[in-house]
Amino acid sequence: MDLKEQVVGEVTVVEVKGRVDSSTAPALGERLETLLATPSQRLVLDMRDLEYISSAGFRVLLLAARRAEQAAGRLVLCGLSGKVRQLFDLGGFLDFFAISVSRDEAVTVAR
Amino acid sequence: MRKPSNILYGVDEVPPLGVTLLSGLQHVGLMSINLIYPVLVAHAAGASAATAAAMVSLTLVALAVGVLLQANVIGPIGSGYLCQPVPTVIYLLPSLLAAKQGGLPLVFGMTMVAGLFEAGLARGLRRVRPLFPPEIAGLVVLLIGISTGLLGLRTILGTDSPDAPAHAFNVVLALVTLGIMASLNVWGSASLRMICVLVGMAVGYAIATASGQLGHGSLAKLADGSLLALPGVGHLAWSFEAGYVLPFGIAAIAATLKVVGNVTTCQRANDADWIRPDMRSISRGALADGLATVVAGALGSQGVNSATMNVGLASATGVHSRRVAYAVAGALLLLAMTPKIGLLLYLMPRPVAGAALVFASTFILVNGLQIMTSRLLDTRRTLVIGLGLLAAFAAEFFPRLLHAMLSGTQAALGSSLVVGTVVGLALNMVFRIGVRQTATLAVEPGATDAVRIADFMEAQGARWGARRDVIDRAAFNLQQSIETLASNEIANGPLEVEASFDEFNLNVRVSYDGPPLELPEKRPSNEEIMASDEGERKLAGFMLRRFADRVAATHKGGRSTVLFHFDH
Repeated sequence: MDLKEQVVGEVTVVEVKGRVDSSTAPALGERLETLLATPSQRLVLDMRDLEYISSAGFRVLLLAARRAEQAAGRLVLCGLSGKVRQLFDLGGFLDFFAISVSRDEAVTVAR
Repeated sequence: MRKPSNILYGVDEVPPLGVTLLSGLQHVGLMSINLIYPVLVAHAAGASAATAAAMVSLTLVALAVGVLLQANVIGPIGSGYLCQPVPTVIYLLPSLLAAKQGGLPLVFGMTMVAGLFEAGLARGLRRVRPLFPPEIAGLVVLLIGISTGLLGLRTILGTDSPDAPAHAFNVVLALVTLGIMASLNVWGSASLRMICVLVGMAVGYAIATASGQLGHGSLAKLADGSLLALPGVGHLAWSFEAGYVLPFGIAAIAATLKVVGNVTTCQRANDADWIRPDMRSISRGALADGLATVVAGALGSQGVNSATMNVGLASATGVHSRRVAYAVAGALLLLAMTPKIGLLLYLMPRPVAGAALVFASTFILVNGLQIMTSRLLDTRRTLVIGLGLLAAFAAEFFPRLLHAMLSGTQAALGSSLVVGTVVGLALNMVFRIGVRQTATLAVEPGATDAVRIADFMEAQGARWGARRDVIDRAAFNLQQSIETLASNEIANGPLEVEASFDEFNLNVRVSYDGPPLELPEKRPSNEEIMASDEGERKLAGFMLRRFADRVAATHKGGRSTVLFHFDH
């Protein structure tokens, strides 16, 4: 898994590349935890290059969403490929997370 | 079946009368575009304008019967969806061959045979599936697209010879017509996109009339035609010839594959909880489609087939109600009493008809490519597709060579579509030899290599020619189950993976020493998932259960096995 960050105005965009499974999820969790420690953090996770996400990855995302809510922040996901979107659907997460189609739209929603 | 939020009226719902009638008229408008095909067949047989008009009228009657057969479920017949038939380009090519060599009776007789063949295929759809994997289905559709495109070009140029001079006006008229169709399709609104062929043809007619190509004689013929009349049946006769069974049979296979796709689309559009195709409804739909072609042949028309564009129209408007089928059938019967429609189509300038064929062929071509690539392709399948295509091109570009090889057989056997399909089918049978149907993989829990596990399923899927979506689901289940077993130390020692495949089933078994894997039917709450590793394990088990069509976890003598079954 690779993480790449970019700041767009007051929104931080994190590109998540590769695989998020039990071996890589802790690193993603730690990074999101650090970013969301800032109150009212606006965070976009761009997942267009995400190949695979397992239950361990979903748990990290749930924890990040809760953390964002507690800190009056906002977490928006975008760029889900067909395969990854199917995993979100299967796990019953499509209605839980704020999901945008494009990065631009996600940044607008996160503001 | 749960109605998706994006549709207005589901298949079992009753819309207001106005909505039903308007939707019906839109469908009929779209369906009328394909009436050009029986007219082309009439031209090829050298039939008169009156005969062509009668053929169009009787085609409309056959379509009305086909719409009702498809929309209602009567025993083993009918998908129950708004998935109506239209005269199809699939049957156009063999019909033209038959029309030129045996006249209209041979077209009608062989159309009935093709319909019966399609009906037979529908009843044994599951059993014959291994013979027609997607690379063969895609190859057939691609070849139909290529043949239709070439037919369109020949119709525009008015010649088979590449050296013969083309009439400049015809080429310009065809380009303008094609340009309008393409422009409206690419840049037009949703409603304009749906009628782009109709608009293109109308403009083509107008230009031909203004330029004098559609002469006064033709227009007088149109004006003299009756406004209302019962369809003529004087031309009805049927004949059969064994040499045409192959080209019509191949068309029937392509028609069956297309109706399978269309009924599946209807199922998906009407059910928010849709996961996989319902083969019973598909089989009934294919039977109704075949019977509609039998009726078409009996009534003196070419073969018909479920229309993808009408399925698309229902999705675009959100009106899927079965009631619309009754409005469509009523309108078709009314139009059948209007001979002027058939006359108008008979008088269509050749460049306009050619442009419509070229336009339609592009979508068929791409559809064929998409079907072929819907499965993972290994060397064997690549050879089947490549050599099948080359054989078809050889038949098209070196006809003398083919005639020498097939001396004494019917010319119909020598068409590029038939040659390409037969070569593809034969190679598919040959290359099935030696494909191992079971594969194993040993995984050490301390060094679970996720990429190697994913690659294992991908490689096996390509070797078997399995459907990509099924392999994707199996790959996820394999990765997630091994990850859960290894990271939670449920498995002690190495894990054994066994994947086995036949055309209908994919089974993936993971065996290990340790307790059985929990596969809950109920999703854990988000709070449970976040609270502990156990919550995450339950989520993993829930997802594994949902992704597979069937799961089983067994435990015997300290060793556990989890089985994931996927329908294929």
